[in-house]
Amino acid sequence: MRMGMVIDLHRCIGCHTCSVACKESNNIPSGVWWNRVLTDGGSHIDAASGEWPNASISFLPVSCQHCDNPACVKVCPVGATYKDAETGIVRQDYDKCIGCRMCMAACPYNGVRSFNWEEPKYSVEFAVGDDDVPTHQKHVVEKCTFCYQRQARGEEPACMVMCPPRARYFGDLDDPESEVSRLVREREHTQLLSEEGTKPSVYYLV
Amino acid sequence: MSENTGTAAPSKAPAARFGGKGLNVAIVVAAIVTVAGLALWGMQLSGGMVQTGMRNLDSWGLYITMFMFLVGLSAGGLIISSAPRVFGLEGFGGISKIAVWTSICCTVLAIGYVVVDLGQPLRLWELFAYSNLGSPLMWDILVLGTYLVLSIVYLWAMLRHEGGKGSAKALRAISALALVCAVLVHSVTAWIFGLQAGREMWHTALLAPWFVSSALVCGVALVLLVVMALRRAGYLELDQRYVVKMVKLLGVFVCVDLYFFGCDLLTEGFPAGEGLEVVGMLVSGPLAPFFWIEVVGCALCAVVAFVPALRTNPLIVAASLLAIAGIFCKRVQLLVGGFQLPNLDYAGAMSQYTVTGWESGMEGAYAGMVYWPTALEFGVMLGVVGLGALMLLLGLKYLPLQPSDRAR
Repeated sequence: MRMGMVIDLHRCIGCHTCSVACKESNNIPSGVWWNRVLTDGGSHIDAASGEWPNASISFLPVSCQHCDNPACVKVCPVGATYKDAETGIVRQDYDKCIGCRMCMAACPYNGVRSFNWEEPKYSVEFAVGDDDVPTHQKHVVEKCTFCYQRQARGEEPACMVMCPPRARYFGDLDDPESEVSRLVREREHTQLLSEEGTKPSVYYLV
Repeated sequence: MSENTGTAAPSKAPAARFGGKGLNVAIVVAAIVTVAGLALWGMQLSGGMVQTGMRNLDSWGLYITMFMFLVGLSAGGLIISSAPRVFGLEGFGGISKIAVWTSICCTVLAIGYVVVDLGQPLRLWELFAYSNLGSPLMWDILVLGTYLVLSIVYLWAMLRHEGGKGSAKALRAISALALVCAVLVHSVTAWIFGLQAGREMWHTALLAPWFVSSALVCGVALVLLVVMALRRAGYLELDQRYVVKMVKLLGVFVCVDLYFFGCDLLTEGFPAGEGLEVVGMLVSGPLAPFFWIEVVGCALCAVVAFVPALRTNPLIVAASLLAIAGIFCKRVQLLVGGFQLPNLDYAGAMSQYTVTGWESGMEGAYAGMVYWPTALEFGVMLGVVGLGALMLLLGLKYLPLQPSDRAR
């Protein structure tokens, strides 16, 4: 099994709901984003490039690409970041991480990995989201888990459940009958930094 | 150690003049700096690494720069001491032991810098319990550990040999092993960076040999500085011809290092693709000061090394300092350069943890150097340097490191 995601960039409206759903569901600390909607346009978030009527803007939701050939897993000296044998999901063990940040240096998708530079802080006093997410720790690296805890319950990742235009699809890329496999087979698609050879499990329909 | 600081006994061997109050004061100062560094490290761990200049997009900083730098510095001593013995050539006037001792100190410091960089130093034991032998970082820990042990064994074997015990053959075998390990340790350190395809600046097969050449440059320069300072302080006697021989060697290493740099710049820049960004960043971009200090400093060092009239003691010291500063600048370029060119430079959600200068967006954060250390980092760095100075001085005080006839 190799769980993967297909994101239809024609449908993405740049509303950032997936970012918020991810943050809420995983009780992510303040200032940390596992899932960001990047702006392909001007130099600021949600800003277009050029001037009307020749302005242009498009959006690119980026989180961990759950690579089939993950650079991070290879370099982690203690195996704190590892590929789950059953699902192919790249996971992170907070209790094992020694905080060397080698994975952050190795990952070509800058910014998908996040280090807790201080004791995690929250904007509300109680934990939100799924009650089975592991507790966030100071001085360890964390990132998108494809909502591993939700999958264990048979649910889909929070980002795709909450996506208003239904731009996200999730499923087993090894199963030719799955919706994601069909989309990758039938639709024109691209992958982020495919030249790096990391074989990401996230596809973008263009 | 004699308390006699010299003026009254000019006829005594110079070695007897060394030590006394000056050395003791230096030891106390080094100890204080070390303790202050430890306190600052405690602050970093309790208050969080948010107090450093490192962030998600520039996740390594001064500590890893110093790690690379000190692994390099540790090379010179060991190679100067072991290479002549391995190949049966004339050495450098019995400075083997002092050279190896500087090596040992630098290796300990290099390990120290990795430790202060860790977010969870209490989990260090996991490196041995859950070793991922596929990780270049793990290779480095293994090779660096072996290197440290071998250097200590080598020093011990030299001392034993001078005491008339142990065969010359055994000593030569140990020195050969140590030499191989020295070359490996630099290569492996280079691979921590060079094997990461995602960083344009780092990903080159040249990096490992280049690390060896840079290590030889700053390592030999450090040994030169140490032995010249010790000669002046009266710790040892050293014929000037050995100094000249080392300076010439330094000149050769500097040229090799600059040649590698030239090869790398040409290979990056010629296709005028993404590599051109690397060249631009170094030559005229945010890292230009470090680039030019390295290139000009190393070139001047080579001039002093190759023009006989310029090989005076003050200029030799200046050339060595330039070489060391140059290689330090090289380390800064490598480390910051790896983070300075993001693969995904789109605007997106940013926070105080994304990158320093995040308030002005990606463009603002990357306008100058993406990373600059904070005062706390400089403090911790100095603390680790203090530890090295402490080890070096204690070694000079208590270990029999002076040249002896049998060692020459």
